[in-house]
Order: sequence, then structure tokens, then C-alpha cells
Amino acid sequence: MNAMLQIATEEWRLWKRSRLALASGIIFLSLLSFTALVTADQILSERHTRQATQAAAEETFRAQPDRHPHRMVHYGHYVFRTPPPMAALDPGLLPVTGSQVFLEGHRQNSPMINAADADTGLGGLPPWTPALCYQLFAPLLLIVLGYGAVVRERETRTLATLLSQGVTGTELILGKFVALVGVSGLLLVPALLIGAGAAGESGNFAALTALLLSYFCYLAFWCAIIVFASAVFERRSAALNTMLAAWLVSTLAIPSLGVGLGSALFTAPGKIQLDLAMQAEILAAGDGHNVNDPAFVQLRAELLEQYGVDDVAQLPVNIRGVVSERSEAAQTEILNRYASRRLAQEQANAQAILRFGWLSPAVALSFASRTLAGTDLLTHHRFQEAAEELRFDFVQGLNRLHIEALDYKTDIERNRGVEASRRARVSAENWALLDDFDFESVPFAERLSAAGLPLIMLAAWLVLGLGLLARAGSRLTV
Amino acid sequence: MNTLTETVERQATMSRSLELQDLCVDRGGHRVLDSVSFAVEAGQIYALLGGNGAGKSTTLLAALGFLPIARGSLLVNGQEAGTGSVSIRKMVAYLPEAVSLYPHLTARENLGYFLSLAKTQSTPKDIEEALDQVALDFQARDRRLESYSKGMRQKVAIALALLRRAEILLLDEPTSGLDPVAIDELHALVRKLAGEGKTILMVTHDVYGACQVADRIGLLHRGRLVGQFAAEPGERISTEAVHQAFAEQESR
Repeated sequence: MNAMLQIATEEWRLWKRSRLALASGIIFLSLLSFTALVTADQILSERHTRQATQAAAEETFRAQPDRHPHRMVHYGHYVFRTPPPMAALDPGLLPVTGSQVFLEGHRQNSPMINAADADTGLGGLPPWTPALCYQLFAPLLLIVLGYGAVVRERETRTLATLLSQGVTGTELILGKFVALVGVSGLLLVPALLIGAGAAGESGNFAALTALLLSYFCYLAFWCAIIVFASAVFERRSAALNTMLAAWLVSTLAIPSLGVGLGSALFTAPGKIQLDLAMQAEILAAGDGHNVNDPAFVQLRAELLEQYGVDDVAQLPVNIRGVVSERSEAAQTEILNRYASRRLAQEQANAQAILRFGWLSPAVALSFASRTLAGTDLLTHHRFQEAAEELRFDFVQGLNRLHIEALDYKTDIERNRGVEASRRARVSAENWALLDDFDFESVPFAERLSAAGLPLIMLAAWLVLGLGLLARAGSRLTV
Repeated sequence: MNTLTETVERQATMSRSLELQDLCVDRGGHRVLDSVSFAVEAGQIYALLGGNGAGKSTTLLAALGFLPIARGSLLVNGQEAGTGSVSIRKMVAYLPEAVSLYPHLTARENLGYFLSLAKTQSTPKDIEEALDQVALDFQARDRRLESYSKGMRQKVAIALALLRRAEILLLDEPTSGLDPVAIDELHALVRKLAGEGKTILMVTHDVYGACQVADRIGLLHRGRLVGQFAAEPGERISTEAVHQAFAEQESR
């Protein structure tokens, strides 16, 4: 066994015999295991619940009796976002972005936060997750274990004994680093087990591997700077205080500052302000329920000319359906435009916060983790886009039914009694036009690509840490 | 007692394991060794004697390459200290002033660990023999060092130096913490090692002990070598002469 591994093994033996190290390790692993199990149980349970609820919602829609097609447009439909398997490790933005949308005509409703997530938020503190344990508390444990790795040898003068055996400074520093990195690997075992259990359901092992590697990279960076600090300081207290200050700044101060500054730099117009502007445009686009709305005068003229008739009642298509279809398309174009602007602003805000990843590896890791887990803003936006695509398809499908399966005369006479109303219905078999909704996450390759910058940041932090380590090793003396 | 000139003539025919020429070392912006020159041959015991802050331990640290040399040279078996420090450390056994072994390990574990780092082949039997040589209580060998007295820890450190089987031994206050019987045993052990051809440089402020064991004594005062004494063949260095010189320097 070479000197580096011998030193690492000896460090492990010291920790095994140290009550402080053992107690810290047991507390952290217990906390992590408990958090991981609770989060995994919650996410897996939500996955099953939402899958079942989605199927039930689709069944309910398709089981509706014969109805007027436009009533089905307003009857609407629910879609649910099933949490991706890796949310068991990092639920990311799921608790704050909402996971169910009510789809209906003429509107793009915001995703709603489910009751369980809202209950958690009422606690006033962010819920503990395995990701949070790794981002916040694992570095703290590594500091407790490793701050004295080299400075202890200097204080007790065993450094002279070690170096006088022919061990180089680099071997000594790397040995201490390897010991601490070994602990990091051990700390990731619960994440591996929980992640493998969750990923097993979907076979998403590539995401799990990438996720674990990003966490390993982050923890290895901490190991490097902890050993570096331990090598350059003369006293244990100085090394410990410096590392605790670095931990506070890196994991708490800079991420909070990033969120605050990101929001301040990219101030988006308020929702009410946006909604008012959007409503004005939608009103100008015409009321799709009213074929006599001035906005559709030209459409009516075009239809009459196209079919060579003088009156809308003579048209082979139901003009009320045509107006609904045209109106829905126009409104959707406006809604999508505003939605795109809002999503772009949210992305710009997120990118502004991500820049703080150059100042704090915790920021870089949180972005990489969420993105790889499929619980980030990108995936949330894709969920909204997928929900909107489904909404537009089924609403326009119903409008097409309105145009083709229901004649104009029957339609306008639908309020003249029960029988007239019954005649203005279409068969329930048509509700099968609703497509299944099975959005879970964006494909892994796209998530990996989106995580590129935060992963580069993490790699840069690790290279910096290793560089400092190499420098400390080459200059180490008694 | 031989004069320095006579000794120098004798040195010319012997190999010099340690050679300091006009050695200057600075620490914390101050010159702590100033133009120190002496040599130690194989099979010889050289004691550097001096009061606190004289530069004794600094000399050993410089030989191990732990301190940069400001001027002059320090050769260990012909290798310049500082440039070939790691290879020098592999052929030197160093006994630090304050015993610096791991308190969470037993005597056997400490020896096993440090010897494996030094890549010195040692069997459990070798370790037991070394511990026998330093007379460490058998019962104590499997106890952690945190429960040892200072003298017991010193014995383990000496055992480590022995087990290194190095050609050169650098001993920093080797009798510190030892009882009188153990000191006598250590002196006998050091002489035995010198008899086997080992080169021994020890630093101490114990005039009596140095005269008992050393072939030559160098007197350091405020970083300068202010006097050297050598024993006649078959005789010991005069304690009185050394003590007088030592007292004179310390009273200045």
C-alpha cells in the first residue's frame, strides 16, 4: 500500500476511535436517512396518486354523457404532473411551482400547488430533503471531521515524525484528502440506495449517476478546501473558524443574496398588471361566444362568400363553432405570447441567480441537482407547455365537433325547451378525442445539456480545490 | 583531550556522514544559525550542547530539509539538505524533542504505522525486540499512548528510531522524560549503535549526559558554534572542561 493510502487508512482509524467523529457521522447519517426515506415515500406516493388521479380525470371526462360540445369546453379537464423519480432526492421547485392545472376553453390557468405541499410550506421553513442535507449539512460534517487533518499533526508535532519517515508533503495532503473523500462517498450511499429504488421504476439510471457525480464533485471540493485550510493554518481553531465562515458564506449567505439580487435585477411586471394588459388584447380579439361580435364580421363575410350563400343558416358548417375555433386560436396566440414572456422572465431571473454559482458551489449544485432531477424551472415550463398543448388540442377538437357535428339551427334553438336542448348535444363517444396526459420530465439528454453550465461551475470549483491542495502539498513543512 | 587540529587530521581519513559548512539558517526573519561548521563521521557520536534558543534543534531540522538554508551547505551522506530532502529523510532516523506519536494508537500500532510509511521491513518480532531494547513494559505495549507517561512515550519513539535501521540518527533531547536508569540504558544503546557504525548527532542541554556518551561535543551559543571538544580514544570528554565553557557562554 502506498503512503497516501496508508495515511488515508490511518485517518479513518482515528475517526473510528473518535467519539466526536462517530457521533457527528451517526447524527448526520440518521438525519439523512430519515429525510431520504420520508421524501422518497412522499414522492413515490405522490407519483402513484397522481398517475391514478390523472387516469381517473381522463376517465371522468370521457364518461360524460351526451352534451353540447361547448359545454364540454367549459367542463374542462385536470392534468397532473407526476413527480419524476429523482424528485425523491431533490424535489427542487415542485413544492412551490404547482403540479396540477385545470384546463378549459379561453383560459390558461396557473398550476395549483397541491394540499400536501401547501401544508409543508405553512411550517414557515423549507422542507428538509436529501438534497438540502447534502448541500448544507454534509460540508459541515466534513469540516468537523477534516479541519484538523493536517493542523492537528502540526500542533502535536507528529507532522515532523510523518515527514521524517520520507513521506512527501503531497502524499500527506493527498492521503488526508482521500480519507475525507472516502467519507463523502459513504455519505452518498443513502442517496444511491434511495435513488436506485426510485430510478428502478423508470430505469432512469443515467440521471441518477449524473446526479450522484455532481454531488460527489461538490463534496470533493469541500474536502479539498478543508484539507487546504488545515494545511495552511498554524492552529486548529483558526482552521475551524475559517471553514465555518466559508460554509456560512457559501451555503447560506451567497445563495440568499443571489435570490434577492436576481429578483431585483430582473423585475417582472406583476401578475395583475400582466393580466389586465392581456385581457384588453383578448377583448379586442372578440368574444367567441358571440357570432355578431364586430371582430368576426370579416369571418362571416368570408364564409358566406366561400360557400356562396346569403345567410349563416344556409352554411354547411356551424358558424358558431367556426367563430369559437377562430376565437380560441386568436386568444391562445395572445395567451401564449404573454406566457412566453413570463417564462422568459422567469428563466432570466433563474440565470441571474445561477451566475452566483461562480461565487458559491452550493448555488451551482442546487441548479445542477434540480435540473438533473427534473424538478427545475425548465421542466416546470415544459409541463405548462405540455398542459397547454393538450388544452388547445381538446378545446379545438370540441370546436371542430361544434362545427361539423351540430348544425347551426339546432344550435341556436338549444334553449327552447328540454327536447331542443337534448337535440343540441353530440354523442358521448366523441369525448374520446381527449388524449392521455403523461408528462413526467424532459428527456435526460436535454436535462444534462441544460445542466451544462452549473456542472462546469462545479468542475471549476473542484479544479480550484485540487489546485490549492497541490500548492499546499508542495509547500508543506513542519 | 585531543586538540581540534589533531581531530581534523583524523577526520580526513574517515567518511563524513554529516558535514556542515558555514551553515546559516533564518527563522522568522532572524538568523538562528550563523556560520556553523562541523562534521560527523560514521560510527561517531556528536553532541550539540547549548542553552535554550542556541539553535540545536534548528540544526536537526535543517538537516532534515524542514528549514531553508540561507547560506553555506549541509551535506547528509553527500546529499545537500533541502534539495534532496525526501531521500535524506529516508536514510535518517529522527527522534524529535517532544515525543510526537499518535496517542490514539498503541505502541505496536504506532511503530507498525510509521515503519510502513518509511517502507522499512519489520516483523512483529523485530518490533518486540526493539521494545525490549528500550525496556518498555510488556503489559503496556497494547495500551494506547494517551495513557503513557512521558518517559514511556519517549521509549516508543526511541524504538521507532532503532527500527528504522538508518545509518544516521538525529536525536533531539533523547533523554528527556527518562528516569536515571533509563538514561543509562539509552546511553549504552547509543554507544552500541555507534559501535555498529551508525552516525549519531544528538542535541542536548545535559552537559553530564553529553560527556558520558559523545565522542565529540560542539558548544552552540546564540546560533554560533563557540567551541568543540573531542574524547581521547578509550576516554570520555571531561565534564568539567565542557561545563566551564558552557557556563562561560551562558553567563555572557
